[in-house]
Amino acid sequence: MTRSLNELRPVYVVGIGWHRYQNPSETPYVELGLTAIRSALADARIEWPAVESSYVATALLGMASGRPMLRHLGATGAPLMHVENASASGSTAFRHACIEVASGISDVALAVGVDKRNPVRRSDTGIGHLAEDAVVPFTHFALLTNEYAVRHNASAEDIARVAVKNHHNGAKNPNAQRQQERTLDEVLGGKRVSGSLTALQCTPIGEGAAAVIVASEDGIRRLGIDAGRAIRTTASVGRSERVYPPGAGFDAALTKETADLALAQAKLAPKDIDIIELHDAFTVEELHYIESIGLCPEGHGVRMLKEGALDIGGQCAINPSGGLIAMGHPIGPTGIGQIGEIVMQLRGEAGPRQHGGARTGLAHMVGVGAVCYVHILQK
Amino acid sequence: MQPNKLLKPGLYSEGSSDRDGATVRLKGGRCRCGYVFFPMQTYGCERCGSHGDALTPCELPANGTLLAEATVHLHADKNRPAPFTIVKVALDDGPVIRTLLADDSAPVVPGQRVTGRLAPVGQGESGETVLDLRFSIAP
Repeated sequence: MTRSLNELRPVYVVGIGWHRYQNPSETPYVELGLTAIRSALADARIEWPAVESSYVATALLGMASGRPMLRHLGATGAPLMHVENASASGSTAFRHACIEVASGISDVALAVGVDKRNPVRRSDTGIGHLAEDAVVPFTHFALLTNEYAVRHNASAEDIARVAVKNHHNGAKNPNAQRQQERTLDEVLGGKRVSGSLTALQCTPIGEGAAAVIVASEDGIRRLGIDAGRAIRTTASVGRSERVYPPGAGFDAALTKETADLALAQAKLAPKDIDIIELHDAFTVEELHYIESIGLCPEGHGVRMLKEGALDIGGQCAINPSGGLIAMGHPIGPTGIGQIGEIVMQLRGEAGPRQHGGARTGLAHMVGVGAVCYVHILQK
Repeated sequence: MQPNKLLKPGLYSEGSSDRDGATVRLKGGRCRCGYVFFPMQTYGCERCGSHGDALTPCELPANGTLLAEATVHLHADKNRPAPFTIVKVALDDGPVIRTLLADDSAPVVPGQRVTGRLAPVGQGESGETVLDLRFSIAP
């Protein structure tokens, strides 16, 4: 018989840390990663030798980049694994760190994501294509924007409001790559990229690092970690794309089935979620995914956005960190940074962007459309 | 007159000519389970996993319904200078494809019927006209 994460022993996030997401720089990835890890260790108030296993999420650094980074913490001989799963690399590393602790194999594990913006290389499948070289990610989402706008009678302004909200949140986040408020005119008037998408509606190219430390109750007790600041992971689900019925967009369909399973695992309904960090690499995605997660019926996302229901302090704060659009999307770190933001919010330590009374958070990532990961954390 | 050359002969073939130019047949495949896909491949069926003889080539007319369009304003690849327009088309036989809108096409909106044709996109080494698939509003 198989079991889900929350049927194993409880696993908690006990430490979070970042190196700020930023424009590409000369800073070596080793420095980015070490900064995030040391900050997570300090947050948990534990020392590096307490970490029994490490998962290093990176999509663009090449083979075995973790050891040249981790050795500077003191080479303890603890197991180390690299995780590449496109945009969801960090979420996947977090899931496996949680599984290792929940299973009882380790008491304390690290998930760290680090990346520099190197060229993306994808292997040839041997199957030809008509013009996929011309359909880069922003054009994939420009196509989805056009479909959404026509199907739900949403204007370019309606959809661009997602970016206004997320830039507003990012402006209050010291770890965000973009920390500047933007008006609707600024968002719409920016450089046109593809379809109706403008530059400020697209995630920026950047680098950075994020780290979280997870621990069992035994580990928390043994290491004297403050249990009051520990946040439990109550659901973890990973899925990959299937063949969907004609007319169904795979992005939304994959998110729906993954989120449904995660909510069922945590025995929650969409209305129980206080904050969501989701994959808003492009504005339209936020609308698609809140509808897929079940916050509102399909096509009603714009109304919630305009009513302020998705703001910090609203019904459900979406991307209080600023999301991929403002906080940034350095790839490997992104999914781990989402977990860190949710933990900060549920602890009540998010300062000027605190969503009052947050008790339940959901983190969502997709990776090149092909994979989807959802985690739920509860106070 | 030099014969025409297809840019991607593994993906489509030239059909009969009509008033608007050469029609095109897409080289798709069909699985024993009924799943129709494009392009043809023999690795295995995405729906049921069957492979080998279960997958047979199947010509797909380039007729369908537009799902979405996007005009690309920025593109890093110098071989494909922007702007150009990408269309997402649900073929009548089922597969959804993404390819280019013809340069001379009128603007398109989702829901419209569209047709793929072979359009000249350049000249080959020996002077022949190179043709590639482009979609435009169905006549």
